[in-house]
Amino acid sequence: MSTAISAQTKWWGGGKSPFNVEYGKLMMWYFLMSDSFTFGAFLIAYGTARFSANSWPDPNEVFNTFPFAPEGMHAPLVFVSIMTFILILSSVTMVLAVQAGHHNNKQGVIKNLIYTIIGGFAFLGCQAWEWTHLFHEGAWWGSNPFLNADGTQGTVNFTNFFFTITGFHGFHVFTGVIINIIMLIMALNNTFEKRGHYLMIEKAGLYWHFVDLVWVFVFTCFYLI
Amino acid sequence: MSNEAILHANMGSAHATHDDHHEHHQETFITKYIFSQDHKTISKQFLITGMVWAVIGGLMSVLFRFQLGFPDDSLPWLEDLLGKWWAAGGHITAQGYYALVTIHGTVLVFFVLTAGLSGTFANLLIPLQIGARDMASPLLNMLSYWFFFIAGIVMLSSIFVETGPFSGGWTAYPPLSALGDTSPGSKTGMDLWIISMALFVVSSLLSGLNYIATVLNMRTKGMSMTRLPLTIWALFFTAVVGVLSFPVLLSGFILLIFDRNFGTSFYLSDIFLSATGTALPNEGGSAILFQHLFWFLGHPEVYIIILPAMGIVSEILSINSRKPIFGYIAMVGSMFAITALSFIVWAHHMFVTGLNPFLGSIFTLFTLLIALPSAIKVFNWLTTLWRGSIRFTPAMLFAIGFVSVFISGGLTGLWLGNSALDIHLHDTYFNIAHFHLVMGVASILAMFAGVYHWFPKMYGRRMNVTLGYIHFWITIIGAYLIFWPMHYEGLAGMPRRYYDYSIWESFKQFSDLNKFISIVVFITFSTQILFLINFFYSIWNGRKETSENPHGATTLEWTTPINPGHGNWVGEIPEVHRWAYDYSKDGKDFIMQTTPIGADEKEEKH
Amino acid sequence: MEYTTQSHGDYAAIKKEIWKVTLILSVLTVIELMLGFWMYLKPEMNHSFKLALKGTIIILMLAKSFYIVAYFMHLKHEIKNMIMTIIVPLTLFIWFIIAFLYDGKSYNNLKNNYDRHYQEQTKVKATKAEHQHNAAPTTEAAPAATH
Repeated sequence: MSTAISAQTKWWGGGKSPFNVEYGKLMMWYFLMSDSFTFGAFLIAYGTARFSANSWPDPNEVFNTFPFAPEGMHAPLVFVSIMTFILILSSVTMVLAVQAGHHNNKQGVIKNLIYTIIGGFAFLGCQAWEWTHLFHEGAWWGSNPFLNADGTQGTVNFTNFFFTITGFHGFHVFTGVIINIIMLIMALNNTFEKRGHYLMIEKAGLYWHFVDLVWVFVFTCFYLI
Repeated sequence: MSNEAILHANMGSAHATHDDHHEHHQETFITKYIFSQDHKTISKQFLITGMVWAVIGGLMSVLFRFQLGFPDDSLPWLEDLLGKWWAAGGHITAQGYYALVTIHGTVLVFFVLTAGLSGTFANLLIPLQIGARDMASPLLNMLSYWFFFIAGIVMLSSIFVETGPFSGGWTAYPPLSALGDTSPGSKTGMDLWIISMALFVVSSLLSGLNYIATVLNMRTKGMSMTRLPLTIWALFFTAVVGVLSFPVLLSGFILLIFDRNFGTSFYLSDIFLSATGTALPNEGGSAILFQHLFWFLGHPEVYIIILPAMGIVSEILSINSRKPIFGYIAMVGSMFAITALSFIVWAHHMFVTGLNPFLGSIFTLFTLLIALPSAIKVFNWLTTLWRGSIRFTPAMLFAIGFVSVFISGGLTGLWLGNSALDIHLHDTYFNIAHFHLVMGVASILAMFAGVYHWFPKMYGRRMNVTLGYIHFWITIIGAYLIFWPMHYEGLAGMPRRYYDYSIWESFKQFSDLNKFISIVVFITFSTQILFLINFFYSIWNGRKETSENPHGATTLEWTTPINPGHGNWVGEIPEVHRWAYDYSKDGKDFIMQTTPIGADEKEEKH
Repeated sequence: MEYTTQSHGDYAAIKKEIWKVTLILSVLTVIELMLGFWMYLKPEMNHSFKLALKGTIIILMLAKSFYIVAYFMHLKHEIKNMIMTIIVPLTLFIWFIIAFLYDGKSYNNLKNNYDRHYQEQTKVKATKAEHQHNAAPTTEAAPAATH
């Protein structure tokens, strides 16, 4: 399998893929690039709203608890760090699944896909808990109970953007989990064995890593700064 | 596993259907003409759907031109035809007028000039000219058409709802688009409008990704990027622009949906609604944010419209001048420059919104930079024509018409792109004249050129030439007579989107001019029916094409059979040995791309 | 012509690389969190110093996204031209971000300079309201600002 990519190869001469990838992977990459503009536009709109406001709520005052936390405990960033690590770890297991696929290791693919799916559900669970918690505090689209950092009436666009963007990200996580479940079923049915390659896992993997990537940005923009 | 094996695995479906082609009974009417995955059939579907929309959108302009030209006259039968909502007493009503203007814009920009133009020619030409049996993913290609079709159905149905279609302008600025109580069209009409547009974004993403992957991955042996015909380069850049800009519009629309339905205030702040007598609680949003998001798509969108036109025209001018295109690399480079610049100039649509003036000056600079690649292209077209042995076919006339209109419409862009001048010209008829000439008429002319030129490839027959000449001359003269006078109206300060100018002392002087423009609109629109008759008559009864290469062109689509089946080539896909523009070379009229370079021949270096 | 997948190199080495990247990502995240806690625990810190910390967090964020894209999404091992087709369009974000944020700030200045009501109202201290789901956000003790 180890073919040296020689400098003489006429990649662009036609009759072959200039990037040495099949079209599906290319389309997935460009779809993700396109999707990064969707998320980019959301986050930039969020930034624009924030720059045009005189004050903004302090995330540490908003996201300051976790499930089963003792009453009155003030623990910002704890719960969201757990969510972040869940997503990073599920990304790791996804890479392992892709690698196992490259070695036609069916058991490895199945095992790691199951881990990834569990990670995805865990993340969605955490998000559901956080949304429920915020809802009970009075936050929702169109209502923001939290004060701005300078003690003035909280701007409602804080919660508007928070729920819209994390919701859109959560929707992507959900789609990713569905895709991974389909991959798992196909792997269990030996679809990829018969096909002779596990390249589809790789595309699902790209999508899943992208979801992780977006969370890196959402995490920073909403919880840290 | 070999690269070829993987590439060809993707072609499985095309191969399979190609093989089926020999046993005709396997293809049913439905798989062949309706849910077809053949790029040529999908191309025809896009074209004919686009034509239907062009007729609807054009008829709308006829109706509102009737109002603008003859505000005091009434046609009682209009009420019988359209109903009270649109034309009470034979007058176009104010709400009807705004609905007409809005849907005319939306339909023409998105359904006709985006889907109809690049949908038709990208689907037809990309596989045929790069030497592929079909698109990278024929399935997604088919889905792309059907998303477009459903988007059209939703938009069409919005015309028939009780409160009318959306009527706040095709740019859908909030608060008119965000608050249902602001106008009748902002209610169900806007809901349907936004659903339709969301479906359209999906359609354009599916097709755009497909075009990019196909052009990169599926070129035949020897077809390097610099041997691609300019049509392919143009359609490739178009797809890139679409893939990168439509998602931003989608984001803007999602925020708009939340504003409409879930009580958010992304775009709303400090509003007292006199229609309901209420002060709205929305606080902290900014309508300008929507304009930024909208124009981040909206500006690249005009290049999505014009780039395929440029590609088609380059190809047709070269073929019918029997000369190589002048400055091939400069053409590709300028298209790339246009693609890149298209993303960084969007706020020149917003100079008078309260945009920061310093930011505005930078946007002015970027905007005026676009003149450079545009001028390069224009000069290259003119030099391609220079001393050519020109064949004035209808396609060629339309292509030359494109160049003419592109120049006269493009020059006024320099006025409007200047933030100081724009304060006076913004939202006047000057602006209408500018973008209709440079984007609307120019692209429509190129689309006609493409249809006349590639009709033999699409249907294996010819269109009637005499009708083509009549169609061209009336269209080009009509277009100038309609839009040229609007420059003067705009310079005099006549604003766009007003219902009735005769009640304004300053604009009364234009009532005869408006009447004249409207009459020309009626004539020009009727001429387009001539084209439709010619088109549909020729599909079944046109003169049968007898030559595989009727235009004496060099590109690969003319190496296929006259009526190619799914899979395009019988047997092997031809190999390519030279660029696409070897005309009048070495004493030969033209040399096909498939002809190997002769022993004593020098390959055209560019 | 062989199709070169990323499986050149042995399985163990790749796994090692994956875990190495995982470690780097974790460490970067922990540093980010520490900076976040620092800002939280010292609210009295200098404004420009706080901005510098936020800038550092953004740089760390970009570093993390580099590792995810380069190693997990395997872009680093693709052909250079393909990397360019993905990276170059993303540079559009530079002007996208600058122009949007600059105009956002400018809009804020416009409001503060020309909208007295806005300028005064955003200075009024409020108290946190509890469980107010269908109520519109209210400003307590807002002076009846007249224009």
